[in-house]
Amino acid sequence: MTTSPIETLTQQYGNLVPTGRLIDGKPRSILFDATKCIGCRHCVQACKDWNDHDRTSLYELSSTNWITMEPPVLEGLSPLWARNSCMHCNFAACAAVCPVEAITKYEEGPVVINKDVCIGCEYCIHACPWEVITKNDITGKASKCTMCSDRISEDKQPFCVQACPVSALDFGFSEEISDKAKKQAEAIGGYIYGEKEAGGGNVVYVLKEVKEKYGVRNIGAEKFPKHKIPLGLMLKDLFTPRCGIAGKLRALYLAIIHPKRLIYRYFS
Amino acid sequence: MMATANSDYANFFPKNRQTRLPGGYMGKILRIDMTTGKLTDLNLPEESLLRKYWGGQLFAEYVLLNELPLDIDPYDPANVIVGMTGPITGTGFTPGGTKMCFVYLSPATRHTLGRGATSGYFGTSLKAAGYDGIIVTGAAQSPKYLYVGEDKVELRDASRVWGKGIRDTEEMLRKESGHQDARIGCIGPAGEHLIRAAMLVNDYNHTAAHGLGAVMGSKKLKAFVAWGTKRPRVHDKNRLIDAGARWAKAISSRKTTVKKRLTSVGHGEDWGAITKLNWRSTIITDEAKGLDQNRVTLRPCFQCPRMCPWDVEIGEGRFKGKVGHFNAGSEWMDTFYNLGFKGNDVLYLSERINDLGIECSHFACGAGLAFEAWEKGVLGPDHTDGLKLEWGNLEAVETLLERCARRETWLGNILADGPKELAEELGGEAKNWVVHTKGGTPAQHEWRPLLSQMLRELVASGGMKPQGAGGAEPPADLRYREKWGPLDPNQPDGWTSSHCWFALNEKPPDGVQSMVDSLNATTGWDVSLDETIDVGHRAIILQSVFGTQRGWIAEHDWQDVGPRFLEPIPDGKYKGFTIAKWLPGLIYEYYRISGRHERTGRPYMDTLTRLGLEEFKEWSQLD
Ligand code: SF4
Ligand code: SF4
Ligand code: SF4
Ligand code: SF4
Repeated sequence: MTTSPIETLTQQYGNLVPTGRLIDGKPRSILFDATKCIGCRHCVQACKDWNDHDRTSLYELSSTNWITMEPPVLEGLSPLWARNSCMHCNFAACAAVCPVEAITKYEEGPVVINKDVCIGCEYCIHACPWEVITKNDITGKASKCTMCSDRISEDKQPFCVQACPVSALDFGFSEEISDKAKKQAEAIGGYIYGEKEAGGGNVVYVLKEVKEKYGVRNIGAEKFPKHKIPLGLMLKDLFTPRCGIAGKLRALYLAIIHPKRLIYRYFS
Repeated sequence: MMATANSDYANFFPKNRQTRLPGGYMGKILRIDMTTGKLTDLNLPEESLLRKYWGGQLFAEYVLLNELPLDIDPYDPANVIVGMTGPITGTGFTPGGTKMCFVYLSPATRHTLGRGATSGYFGTSLKAAGYDGIIVTGAAQSPKYLYVGEDKVELRDASRVWGKGIRDTEEMLRKESGHQDARIGCIGPAGEHLIRAAMLVNDYNHTAAHGLGAVMGSKKLKAFVAWGTKRPRVHDKNRLIDAGARWAKAISSRKTTVKKRLTSVGHGEDWGAITKLNWRSTIITDEAKGLDQNRVTLRPCFQCPRMCPWDVEIGEGRFKGKVGHFNAGSEWMDTFYNLGFKGNDVLYLSERINDLGIECSHFACGAGLAFEAWEKGVLGPDHTDGLKLEWGNLEAVETLLERCARRETWLGNILADGPKELAEELGGEAKNWVVHTKGGTPAQHEWRPLLSQMLRELVASGGMKPQGAGGAEPPADLRYREKWGPLDPNQPDGWTSSHCWFALNEKPPDGVQSMVDSLNATTGWDVSLDETIDVGHRAIILQSVFGTQRGWIAEHDWQDVGPRFLEPIPDGKYKGFTIAKWLPGLIYEYYRISGRHERTGRPYMDTLTRLGLEEFKEWSQLD
């Protein structure tokens, strides 16, 4: 496998994304087993319950809906279902492009947006290969699944996992989850999704049919894949008052102390 | 004349609330006058009244008693439908927080309380739209449906869906609402044609039976559509999560599995008896044949891990590829065993009866009687418009379902009225072959071997599906009480917190306490088990006051019953057993324990006083 320039860059200059620790530094993962999922959306509602989000809408990602179950039809009306939410990438493109370093990758797995720091530039929204970040219309901040980092900090499992009535969701230390996924994939003649995609992350799926049937994305194994932040958006942020003076100053300061991070953000 | 001239009721829905709105409630009730089209928002009662009448059924009963005139026919525009959710409906975090309960004057019995209770998602959506309940009065001139959204509330033209089955109606109205996740409760042709036991069906898999659909039809109200993004405030989320998890644990042994749906003949398997050939055989043979070829998906209600409802795609036989959507129980399976069917024919017919919106036991007992009468030569082809009423004749039953749902032909029309009416029409010996309770029908299961379930069916409001019942032991959490109170599983309607009674497991310790703790964490109250029992008791008493006002007496419970229901069991492992041996003593005992007169069924004054229901003293037993 050829090493990508970004990977070389990371190896040479350290990680492109801000990192942190929640409790013990041991990585954890969520497992979604599509062969068990019945499409009940208990996970979707549970996420809303835990995070005090609006009761609906259920069928598209939004700042009050961090997870969808695809396809967007009523429970019970599809034979196949797939989870659609943040994959908590090991090489989180969203975090790498954030000019104010509002997104942190925690050692335990979660990639979390700090909404107090976010300036609403939308880079992350365009950078995420899964397009699972949305913007809160009112606050203008970026928003997505946190992997329940608040619960993980208290050594509890994510709320969506707790709510699944058929154990299609599981949670545990990444090594164990990886083993479970492998065994289950073997048992059903399926395969694992999410361990290689974009360099892998802390959410893995077990799928049986081809990806297209679940509507999950075909994403290459490249770490920090080329992002799609429109040039116009970047220029606007650099040369207009958009995102505020404080935000610009923070971005400038971070550019000075982490200059290597600019390479992926602006020149890849 | 109004049922009670209660001056307190004038302020029951205050213009401005003075007290705290407990967690779990949205704070508003929607009143709809179908005659004028007027829609009014009412504030929920003050906190002390909410606590006194907490839950869906009890609250709704109290409103109905105060709003419903005496001496009207169920199809009079003056009949009132009161539909209420409860404080834990739609909060999430707990099992069973799914329920919505409708009450009205029953079209099946014409003199007792009708109650249609349903689960699924509709109640949650109503709350998401900002309402705890609905009161429907009057009748429209042309078909309408009610859209309740947080964006707007309006009565809309339903002519496009009038005449359509449940599935089509639900899909069309969802599309029309512009919200893919709008939730719909609607009636089918049976409700439109005033089949006395027509149902409301919601979210595909859920039914509110006992004539709600017929009352809606009489008001030209085709459907409710609810959508919104709101959620009730929760008093103490962490405590609720903990209580909900304990509750989930208590019911975990009752989780439904796909395997069960692929192999089981239904609920009757639990005690080994089903209803066959118009209640003339109970023995389970190969009724489940072919089910193992099906594709079954469990389709749980809102946030409930019990997972009762299910969808099927039939995998073999003449209906291969057909789909069906089913609720928690399995009365519809017994319905078609009762007419001589087995296997996937049963599931196919069950989907048909649901789409038409006929309550299954109503049809099971009516058609069962007709088939037996045919077998015995009492009913001939001159009365069936060419149908051969032979057991297991699929074409005949399918045609009869359609006719019944639209009151077509003599037989279809009388089946629409009910089994009691058919028995009277047939006369003679045939009067002894019928199963009914006060003109309604019991939930279609072979209850006759089960004493407590039989008692429950007999004393219920007449075909009104009673809630709960149980084994010989009190719930573990209630053993501290000296004797059975009104939460006795031998008594109906003791559970009113508007959780789903399928999501109850009273047997293990914490089964009941975890539910009450969920209520308290949601509302901020400190309700005890004793207070819970009082609330259940109130619901029972108000239900019987409702009947008393309209001519019901306790003796109807054992006298106005189809004789077949009290016959000794004809075969199988319970052969010869009958509750009749203990009647009427058992019923007398039940009324005594619940503080009512054993013959009239009227509550004693001290019962009313103890429960704070003095305002109904006019209907009490004075001696
Ligand atoms: S899936 Fe998207 S939002 Fe989630 S960590 Fe990866 S890049 Fe970021
Ligand atoms: S919107 Fe901009 S500032 Fe906010 S998290 Fe995304 S990249 Fe960072
Ligand atoms: S991990 Fe937490 S935040 Fe993410 S979808 Fe699940 S419940 Fe929601
Ligand atoms: S709760 Fe479980 S079964 Fe239901 S949709 Fe989510 S993952 Fe699938």
